[in-house]
Amino acid sequence: MTIDHILTLLLAVPAIGLLPLYVFRNDPRSVKQVAVVTTLFELLLSLVMLAQFHVGDAGFQLIEQADWLPSLGIRYLVGVDGISVLLVPMTTLLTFISVLYSSGGAIKDRIASFMAAFLILEIGMVGVFVSLDLFLFYVMFELMLVPMYLIIGIWGGPRRIYSTLKFVIFTLAGSLLMLVAIVAVWLASGDEGARTLSLPELLASRGRFSADFQFWVFLAFGLAFAIKLPMVPFHTWLPDAHVEAPTAGSIILAGVLLKAGGYGFLRFALPLFPVGTQLWLPVIIVLSVVAILYGAAVSTVQKDLKKLVAYSSVAHMGFVTLGIFVLNAQGGVGAVLQMLNHGFVTGALFLFVGIQYERTHRRLIADLGGLANRWPLYTTFFGIFVLASLGLPGLNGFVGEFLVLLGTFKFSGVPLGGLFWGPVAALGVILAAVYLLWMFQRVMYGPVREAYRALPDLSPIEVVCAVPLVVLTVLLGVFPQQAIAIIEPSLQQVLRLATDPGFQVAIK
Amino acid sequence: MTAFLDTLIPVLPEVLVTITACVVLVADGLLPRGQSRGVLPAMTVVGLALAFLGGPLAPPSGQYFGGFVQIDTFTTFFRAVFIVLAVFATLVAPSYLDRRGIPPGEYYATICFSTVGAMTIALSTDLITLFVGLELMTIPIYVLAGMQRRDRFANEAALKYFLLGAFSSALLVYGFAWLYGVTGSTRYIDVATELQRIGLANGPTIVALALVTVGLGFKAAVVPFHQWTPDAYDGAPTPATAFMSVGPKAAAFAAILRVLVSGLAPLQVDWSTVFAVLAAVTMTGGNIVALAQTNTKRMLAYSSIAHTGYILAAVAASAAGPSATAAVLFYVFAYGVMNLGAFACLLYFDIEGSRGATLEELNGFARRQPLGAFAFAIFLFSLTGIPPTVGFVAKFLVIQPVLDAGYAWLAVFIALNAVLAAFYYLRVVVHMYMYDPDTGAPIVASTRLLSTALGLSALATIVLGVLPNSLYAWALQAANPLLR
Repeated sequence: MTIDHILTLLLAVPAIGLLPLYVFRNDPRSVKQVAVVTTLFELLLSLVMLAQFHVGDAGFQLIEQADWLPSLGIRYLVGVDGISVLLVPMTTLLTFISVLYSSGGAIKDRIASFMAAFLILEIGMVGVFVSLDLFLFYVMFELMLVPMYLIIGIWGGPRRIYSTLKFVIFTLAGSLLMLVAIVAVWLASGDEGARTLSLPELLASRGRFSADFQFWVFLAFGLAFAIKLPMVPFHTWLPDAHVEAPTAGSIILAGVLLKAGGYGFLRFALPLFPVGTQLWLPVIIVLSVVAILYGAAVSTVQKDLKKLVAYSSVAHMGFVTLGIFVLNAQGGVGAVLQMLNHGFVTGALFLFVGIQYERTHRRLIADLGGLANRWPLYTTFFGIFVLASLGLPGLNGFVGEFLVLLGTFKFSGVPLGGLFWGPVAALGVILAAVYLLWMFQRVMYGPVREAYRALPDLSPIEVVCAVPLVVLTVLLGVFPQQAIAIIEPSLQQVLRLATDPGFQVAIK
Repeated sequence: MTAFLDTLIPVLPEVLVTITACVVLVADGLLPRGQSRGVLPAMTVVGLALAFLGGPLAPPSGQYFGGFVQIDTFTTFFRAVFIVLAVFATLVAPSYLDRRGIPPGEYYATICFSTVGAMTIALSTDLITLFVGLELMTIPIYVLAGMQRRDRFANEAALKYFLLGAFSSALLVYGFAWLYGVTGSTRYIDVATELQRIGLANGPTIVALALVTVGLGFKAAVVPFHQWTPDAYDGAPTPATAFMSVGPKAAAFAAILRVLVSGLAPLQVDWSTVFAVLAAVTMTGGNIVALAQTNTKRMLAYSSIAHTGYILAAVAASAAGPSATAAVLFYVFAYGVMNLGAFACLLYFDIEGSRGATLEELNGFARRQPLGAFAFAIFLFSLTGIPPTVGFVAKFLVIQPVLDAGYAWLAVFIALNAVLAAFYYLRVVVHMYMYDPDTGAPIVASTRLLSTALGLSALATIVLGVLPNSLYAWALQAANPLLR
């Protein structure tokens, strides 16, 4: 089955879903049904899109375009390649799971507004991954911000207001500087009347970007993405936001929003500014390794379950930036896989922490214990995700981290060389095993508390939420080849652009 | 007689607005009290709508009245802006005027007179026409600010505004006199030609330039000439504040564009750097003080100063060509829609004894008045510059000439200021959406007319943000006559 204009349709479906949502806004039952059906339809549509994607082509596919701001040469231009085509179904799946889980009773207050925020969020998230025009990308990048701000601020925990303002201000600080850089790119893209912001044309005219220009513009783009990702030292908003966000918000925040940063590097920063990449690469690699170790070390001493998972995200995202900036195929493919895997696994971890909190109303590790005796189903699922997160071979987490480390070992374009940074980063994998297994032991084993004896195991809706994630975790762990085949050609293309020898000469 | 009428046709919209004002005044005297409440605003809106439609009937580009008046795309753009703002200020007012016992006829007539003045500024070709327009616009505003005679804050507002306004007018007219002395003409074209001939700026031209800059800076509320703004905005009746914060500001920028960009173009190198610095100081000053406000009306007053700074940045960048002027025009339009909307949202809270809502009074507003809160949130997001709103496109368009003219530091300033502004704008959203209503929260006033007007402008904020092309194309076209 082929559907025309499928990417535009993907952007339109959540918007269309807002209409019935508004009509039925006073009837919680219908609101839930509308939201679940809309996101399910979006998920199926994104799978059709994946099926329409031609594996093996490096270029953009399913392209659609229209004039938007013709006087400025700004166009509505969407398309996918191997890097983005998998991130879209990941987004729609996680959104569907979040909405389904939230309709199971986790959200009671103002449910219509909650679902509306999620649908708008979904437009922004899908939009970020399919935009090929910088202006459109920026609009989508910011469109993700407002709904998440409301989701944390309205349906979050006790310190939600502090956390949500911190989240927004951090993100805006980065993205507004990126806006200045986008305008600078527009001005540099051509002579008056021939300026553009669409990626294919910018790639053709990137020879006009001087080394000095690339240094500053890369810095502005890099800051926006580094804050979103988040890289150390811009990560301080993340633990706060995660701890206060409602479960569904945490799933999306960790699962999808952070990926926008890593994706932004791959899609725009690397291919457009090869000189900027070369100039900033050592800094980013060092910060990535610091993030891996620091995230892991801080996770180890966390008392709060949600904070532990949040800090582990910092470490996992360190692998993403490390993989991207070692500029070789293994590292890059590993980074994209790591983004996908982190989406599924950490999304799932937040889901399970949320499910547990929903029942016990406790998040401190010290207050929990012995749950394995009462909840066999929960323990099985949670155990699989914990093992995937720490990188056990056979589950998906291993594949991405292994490839990233492999790429790092091979990379020599950084002071001290890949043979130094690779083993140091590998320490992070060991630390991950320490903090995750220790956490699992304290939460699941030991004597069960009296108060938790009567609590039920997973409900059918929760099982439905967890099963697709488990299937993907195992599938991507055992057969990553198919995913790699989709990612690799486009990634090679990005690397060719980023390591173009014509630009390397320019530095020296 | 017909010959006389023919000469009026080019300024048909201005004439129609004047007639509207007069008719409203007369009708106010004739109609019984009860009837005038609904009839007067309806008459005003109809009159303004006729004036809006009358624009295209007038003959196209050209100079009239012995060269004192020029009709071009710039004029038409600003005519539309001012009329739209006046209609909006009329629509949101009736129930407020009723509650406060402000005489409606005077309010609507004053708005119309002020609008005529603003329109006159846009069609000026001569410093004298400009000055007449400026005074015609400002004097009704002094009246508007002090319309609540028994309110001491209104008295303070009116007096402060009047004294500083008169002071700035004096500076401005003194600057015009110096300009006349230097160039021997008051017409922009002749002024520009003469300045071009003189070449480099000498003592007298610098004095003239400085006086004109300070005078116009007062009118547009540029830091450090902004001190009147917060008190005047705060003390004036809220619908008047909404109008004051956008109408005169748009007119001030029309004047700045006419005088500086077209008349003093030869001195551009001299004034553009000064304006860049003033822009940076204005946006930062406005934002920092706005951060400390707990009363939303005062906060919006200070934030409007910050917006002056953003617009001024585009003026400073006029070396970049039409894109700079078009950015000013686009921003002025966008700012008009969103800022008027934001001030008008405060009308929901306007209860006896309070002058504007404190942040605490906004608590849980989203539960009490979902659509009003939603509209307010949209205006605030737009003022912050978050897509997909018109405020975002406006910021994008301003940054572009600023970078093009080589003021990269100013572009970074704009971005950082937007972050600063985000903090206090979003704090309002926090109070509306994320706190529960207090038990002692004031009762929220609601009228259908207000909600309709707000809904329409919120819609415009979004639609123009998603599809900005026609507005931008129009602004580009309107920017053309200024660049010879």
